[in-house]
Amino acid sequence: MRVILESKVRKKPTLPIEAEAIIPRNFLKGTDLLVYEGNKERKLSELFWIFVEGTAVSPENIEVVLKGDTSRIKRVGEYMDTGSILISRDIGMHCGNFMSGGTIEILGNADAWLGREMRGGTILCRGNAGHYCATGYRGEKKGMQGGKVEVFGNTGDFCAEYLAGGEVHVHGSTGDFPGVEMRGGQLIIEGDVTRPCANMKDGTCVILGRVHEMIPTFEKIDRRVLPEWKITADVYKGDVANRGKGMLMIKNPGEV
Amino acid sequence: MILNDVVCPFCGCLCDDLELEVEGDRVVRVQNGCSLAEATFMNDTRLPAPIRRTTTGWEKISYDEAIKETADILKDADRPLLYGWSSTHGEAQSVGVHIAERIGAVIDNTSTVCHGPSILAIQEVGHPGCTLGQVKNRADVIIYWGCNPIEAHPRHMSRYTTFATGFFVPDAQRERTVIVVDTRRNDTANIADEFLQMEPGGDYAVLSALRAIVRGKESIIPKKVAGISKEQLIRVANICKNAKFGAIFFGLGLTMSRGKYKNVRNAIELTDELSRHTKFVISPMRGHGNVYGSNEVFTWMTGYPFAVDFARGIAFYNPGETTAVDILRRGECDAALIVASDPGANFPRVAAAHLAKIPTVLIDPHVNATTALSRIHIPCTAAGIDAAGTAYRMDGVPIRMKKVIERGYPDDAEILKKIYDRLNGEMGS
Repeated sequence: MRVILESKVRKKPTLPIEAEAIIPRNFLKGTDLLVYEGNKERKLSELFWIFVEGTAVSPENIEVVLKGDTSRIKRVGEYMDTGSILISRDIGMHCGNFMSGGTIEILGNADAWLGREMRGGTILCRGNAGHYCATGYRGEKKGMQGGKVEVFGNTGDFCAEYLAGGEVHVHGSTGDFPGVEMRGGQLIIEGDVTRPCANMKDGTCVILGRVHEMIPTFEKIDRRVLPEWKITADVYKGDVANRGKGMLMIKNPGEV
Repeated sequence: MILNDVVCPFCGCLCDDLELEVEGDRVVRVQNGCSLAEATFMNDTRLPAPIRRTTTGWEKISYDEAIKETADILKDADRPLLYGWSSTHGEAQSVGVHIAERIGAVIDNTSTVCHGPSILAIQEVGHPGCTLGQVKNRADVIIYWGCNPIEAHPRHMSRYTTFATGFFVPDAQRERTVIVVDTRRNDTANIADEFLQMEPGGDYAVLSALRAIVRGKESIIPKKVAGISKEQLIRVANICKNAKFGAIFFGLGLTMSRGKYKNVRNAIELTDELSRHTKFVISPMRGHGNVYGSNEVFTWMTGYPFAVDFARGIAFYNPGETTAVDILRRGECDAALIVASDPGANFPRVAAAHLAKIPTVLIDPHVNATTALSRIHIPCTAAGIDAAGTAYRMDGVPIRMKKVIERGYPDDAEILKKIYDRLNGEMGS
């Protein structure tokens, strides 16, 4: 089954919409769902043109397609456990919060907190992602714990903060403090970074681009070949200001 | 008339030993206060009556008219923002929270542009703090990091640290070691025993290096960290480890420089690390007189200290998303009520520009930069001058502010209560 939601033109287009109801499982019972626009509760049909193609007997066979201006729609795919969501343009904050299964593909850019506290499933972002991509909620000790977030563009600051499990792969560059407070999982950044893995406790981070500023409390322990990436990398242990059990591997800057 | 033990409402020190001479509705002399206290009490020029913007200028309106129009603006909004609160008393702040919950608004206070990052860090790793009285009586090592108390909190050093005689530190000036960490040599650095001048944005690296040194890992620290030599870092770490009682005070130089709450978290973790060797505490140098109070009131009413979003009827908190600057920058809110603060003077241009676009109401005793962005300005009492009320000092101690003069203005809590009652009447209680 395919559910197409095309956003309607709104009187106040900058008002945020909170739409955690948009997950494939919910469309098994129909399209009579509620969302919030600012502080007002609205029916899904007040904000979207809804088209349903085919039928489904289980949620894994449901694909939700979002079209139109969806850049202010928050929490799409929150607690999603199966099925798929395709977003044809930009998406608002908190897309894929607490997701445990299924696939979200964003063809545009994603706003902040993409895949926050994700437990499983896959998020593919073809554009850029905002700050706090694949992180945790404020004050939470564990961020993303499972699944995979792949960003084909760049991310903002604090990417993979508190990463505890799963994989975050950024094809472009990140902002400040990627992998800060990391305690597990794998972070791969193909572009440039600033101050990676500060206060890292555990986990592995591979950086294929340039590191503009290194935290002074990482200890260089080795230089080794990483066959998976076909590079030679300097291997650091850290952050020794903390427990220092994390592994940071940075492509040898002398290597072309 | 002479009034004793008056509390100055200006900064987070809330000095409670002022002596004022009052003549009629004017304060004519301030004793014991700093220059900021003198200006607060003696240069108190007020807006005489509520004003409303017209197509050609401003017109005077009655309080009832201003209150009705404010309630109408808030009632019709889809995403109202209530901001400010840090220069008024807890009684007004609590009515503000009730209004926010009633209309599904976002309520935020000035922490969002000062020590909000400190709060985020405290929520991550806790707050090993104490009262200023403890510091005064016990601390023999004082660190001022990214702050300049001589100019911003002029009596902090004389009441609590460098120049204050303490029970266990009777010869304060000789017995206390003062360390200043900053990007430039400020007035406080000039009287410090040790000054660490670092490159701008180097706070996080310096704190990490100090933590590693305290943990015995100095061998991996490079020769220089953010412009500070390794020798000086080791010397400072040793001063701290050998202290009987150490206290770190930090300001916006730490909270609002690159890294923000991660800087503060690192400073707290350094404090924890030092507490394995001796007793160390850390405290923010809060700016507005009752900004700590706004965090307290918001927390005991909503569970969160600032940036609380009631859009869905329950409190939601996510600084970066629900903070006033971010909401304004994204053009989300469609009405604003500003109380006891001046975002027009210190918000980024794009945020201030949005305030000017939407119906904004200002409740504040004084004409300020936000007046120029507002549709309505309602003058009120100034907490601690012509209104009594509760405020919280920077160390979390509640202090009752006195009413020292009568100037005939209504209390802001009273104005807010009338707005709240009108909203309840129109929206159903």
